[in-house]
Amino acid sequence: MKELNDKFVIRTQGLCKTFSIGGVQQHVLNNLDIDIVEGDFTVIMGNSGSGKSTLLYALSGMDRPTLGKIIFDAQTISDFSNDKLAKFRRTNCGFIFQEVFLNDNMSIMDNVLAAGYLSGRNRKQVYQEACERLSQVGIGEDMFNKFPSQMSGGELQRVGLVRAIINSPKVVFADEPTGALNSANSVAVLDIMNKLHAEGKSILMVTHDMRSAIRGNRILYLKDGVILNEIDLGNYDVSQEKQRLDTLKVFLDEMGW
Amino acid sequence: MWSIIKSHFHKGKTGFIITGLFIILSVLMMIVGLSICFGIDTLYQKARDISNSPDCCISVFESPYGESQARLEEILKSKDYVENYDLQEIYYLEKEDGENTDKRLEFYTRTYIGNMFVSNWVALNIDDENNAFKPQLRDTVEKEGYKFYVTGNFIATTMFSVGDNVRTTINGKTYEGYIAGIYDDMTRIYNTANIYIGGDLFEEIAKQSEDDRITREYNINIRIDSKDEAESARLQQQLCKELESAIVQLNVDRLSQDPTLPYIYYNYVTREIFTQGTKSFILLLGTALIAFSVIVAIIVAIVIGFLVRSSVFDEVRNLGVLKALGYTTTQLRLSYLAIYGVIGGICLAVGVTLGVGLMPAFVNVVTGMARLDCSKAISVNVGGIFLAIAFVLAVVSSVVYLSTARVKSVTPLSAMRNNIQTHTFRRNRASLNKSKININAHLGIKSIVGETHRSVMVVAIVLIMSLLCSFVSVVFYNLKVDQTAIISMSAIENADYYVNFSNDDTSPYFDAIHNIDGFEADVRATSVGLEIDGGYGQGQLFENFDHIRTQFVYKGRYPKYANEILIDYAYATEKGYKLGDSVTLHMERGTLKSDKSCVIVGYFQNLLDMCKVMGFLEILYELYDIPTLEDSKYVRHLIYFEKGKAPDIDELREILMQVDGGKVMFNGFQSGEDYIGSAFLNTVETAADAVMSVFFSITAIVIALLLIMLIKLKLLRERRNYAVYKALGYTSLDIMLQIATSMLLLGLVGSIIGALIGALTTSPILSLFGKYIGAGHFAFIIPWGYTVCVVLFICVLICAVSMLCAIPVRKINPAKHLRERG
Repeated sequence: MKELNDKFVIRTQGLCKTFSIGGVQQHVLNNLDIDIVEGDFTVIMGNSGSGKSTLLYALSGMDRPTLGKIIFDAQTISDFSNDKLAKFRRTNCGFIFQEVFLNDNMSIMDNVLAAGYLSGRNRKQVYQEACERLSQVGIGEDMFNKFPSQMSGGELQRVGLVRAIINSPKVVFADEPTGALNSANSVAVLDIMNKLHAEGKSILMVTHDMRSAIRGNRILYLKDGVILNEIDLGNYDVSQEKQRLDTLKVFLDEMGW
Repeated sequence: MWSIIKSHFHKGKTGFIITGLFIILSVLMMIVGLSICFGIDTLYQKARDISNSPDCCISVFESPYGESQARLEEILKSKDYVENYDLQEIYYLEKEDGENTDKRLEFYTRTYIGNMFVSNWVALNIDDENNAFKPQLRDTVEKEGYKFYVTGNFIATTMFSVGDNVRTTINGKTYEGYIAGIYDDMTRIYNTANIYIGGDLFEEIAKQSEDDRITREYNINIRIDSKDEAESARLQQQLCKELESAIVQLNVDRLSQDPTLPYIYYNYVTREIFTQGTKSFILLLGTALIAFSVIVAIIVAIVIGFLVRSSVFDEVRNLGVLKALGYTTTQLRLSYLAIYGVIGGICLAVGVTLGVGLMPAFVNVVTGMARLDCSKAISVNVGGIFLAIAFVLAVVSSVVYLSTARVKSVTPLSAMRNNIQTHTFRRNRASLNKSKININAHLGIKSIVGETHRSVMVVAIVLIMSLLCSFVSVVFYNLKVDQTAIISMSAIENADYYVNFSNDDTSPYFDAIHNIDGFEADVRATSVGLEIDGGYGQGQLFENFDHIRTQFVYKGRYPKYANEILIDYAYATEKGYKLGDSVTLHMERGTLKSDKSCVIVGYFQNLLDMCKVMGFLEILYELYDIPTLEDSKYVRHLIYFEKGKAPDIDELREILMQVDGGKVMFNGFQSGEDYIGSAFLNTVETAADAVMSVFFSITAIVIALLLIMLIKLKLLRERRNYAVYKALGYTSLDIMLQIATSMLLLGLVGSIIGALIGALTTSPILSLFGKYIGAGHFAFIIPWGYTVCVVLFICVLICAVSMLCAIPVRKINPAKHLRERG
């Protein structure tokens, strides 16, 4: 558990999420209390069906809990209407998806700007920032007007990452961001995420990949809809990668991974 | 292969339903349109048989009693093409005079229907056993009082209905009654004052007038024995001309014996005259329905083309796999044909059923236009059904087959590489980085340029529909709101009043009119039958053209001299006459024959076949060899008042009734508006209303269905993108606005272009077809306000329907949709 003097960006109280599948009630999240600390790179791990993604979508305000409270940046977003939630997400949440989900009909620059212009900031500034961010992740100016179908998976995920942070959100949510990437591209994307973390950005990532998970400083293990345990790995350092991996392995073994 | 069919069905459910509705609409309108057009030739003959109407009717007013009846009957008996005829006594019902000073028997009778004063009625006996053309009565009611039966036309063109009270005063005695039913008579259809009365009242009238009766008034009704409409029309005209000549000859004989004897007056009406007045407009309705059916079929083709092409793109992988398994291109294309064959078959069956079922409703519209009960005269045409089915099937199958052409280029390898893309990657159009407009509007624009096929389809369909609406609006405006253009094509002068009197001395009445404040002019005019270089036609002759309000001349100028004439442009074209040519006008009155050579100085249009030539009254004087024309039943006075100063008809009647102790005898008294209205405007107004409401309703339905289909398809295909948008922070309203913006912009482009083309091409298109009905030069006023309204109507419709159809966006849950794999 986190210390009382930590600043929480997200806190839940008695969070429950129940799905009805074919008339059968399935409790995915069970009375969950969780605190996400500002500036942390939090990783949620767990077996398939443990409720990782459900938790991520609930915390980001994309899905509504069946019961319980979600307090995000001191606002109880679980009480928000859908439209209020959408507006809240504009500047508070950034999303990185496994399948990226860029709009095929728009260039990559337009995909980024479609998110960036929502913040209401000066459009010129948004565009300049998009250019800078894209360049920082290795997407050159010559590619700005390319369409998603003309780019590789790794490039697309980097564009997705830029789209996620273009509005400087309070928290970046990542759902298996490297799930569809080869190892080189995965490393590149995770490096960028670590760089963001180093800049002070709060990141909440769901993954079942240990190499991705060790990039975080705090690992939560989710089982049957509750946090079974957690481990603090400290901030990522490439020179300690093996040691972090071993520690994580031990932790996961204990959790029955 | 079944999987492709299943997937196509699943993804395009809404598309199929809407395509089906369009097919039904197209078939329905095609069947009704063809049935009307195929049935028009026999419509009037059937209507004649159903209403038991004669083919022609000649009214004779002979004073004193003479031999006209025997002379006319002799002619009728000598004609083997006369199937049968009868002779009916009639009575004129006119304003009560109170005195009967002359020896001519007149019924100075004041007739009211409801509270409206009506003059110049002709009373016929419904119980006359000699009546071979006893009218078929409909909508009959029973009440206390004398029974009056009026024409369907009277009911259609006035505010009266069956059951209304009627009061007739004959020689001071009042008879109360009511409208007991309706009859159709195609030879008296324009005369709203023809009335059948019960035998009891008819005998009362006869009794009232018995002592003074030395004048003979009668109608001879004639039926021609010919099944061919054109032949019948020719014989009607020929017979009436012969009867007319006989009366003229009688007049000559009588006058040569005793110059003080009055003329035998006569008038005749043929079914052909009635037919000409309404046939064009009914044909126009039928043609409009066929045209609309073809347009809807084009829309069906566009929609099916879009659906099939989209399906081929979506299923490219499956198609590749099937090809790898050994299916041929033809087999795959046939699978699509099978789908649309089934849909087409079902919809055709529904369309035919609806066409047959709704035919009576359309026949009601035709009834309104024809001024006849057409309920049994026109029905669904079996040939029309087969033609409609063949047409729609041909459209659907050819479009499906052509749209699947891309299946040919799908190879297993290319399909696996998914190299057939639905989007263009050449340029990033409408880039966001230079955007200064609202982000939702910009994303709407991006969706337009990103989905070219869909955008082109929307623009094309909206363009077609707005073109039609604009076209119909221009027609509606010119037929209903500002009738200047259509009146100028009708060869009917639009004077304030048409007046003539039966009194011996009419000068006090005209003096009274001339003294009314605002009086402008009194122009005498008459119509006369004559031959123009051997071809028969009516001539309209005016005292002068100085006050004419209808712009008759559309090429050339008005006559300045007595030997100058205007000629019907269609007739001139048929005969090869040009401006400056001379033609010989020929007239026969019994043994008197005369010719006059005239120069053509201008053309007029003759939409209703009112006359072939126009000129000065001097032409008649020369042909008749008379110094001037005495005022008679055949000289109309066209009365003009300064703009806005014309008294209303009741005021004018009151003024005239106060002259000379109320002895006025109206032989004709109508406002110009009523005259033109009864001649044809009432029919065109009915047509304008019907066409306007049908076209706008269908446009609304077509556009709404199109949007429902497209937006449903869009929501289905792009639900993932919309889920991402929502995750990024777009609200449901934002997305709905994006959809509505894209549709609105497409609609705006389509409707502006369509409305402009429609407005600008209405007159040229009508001119192109109008030359077949005697009007080759339409110069309709373009009501730009209406054009703007068409654009607004379509845009508002698109906006509303798009927003409503996009409401399901609210149900898109990003968490749910983004977790779906694939």
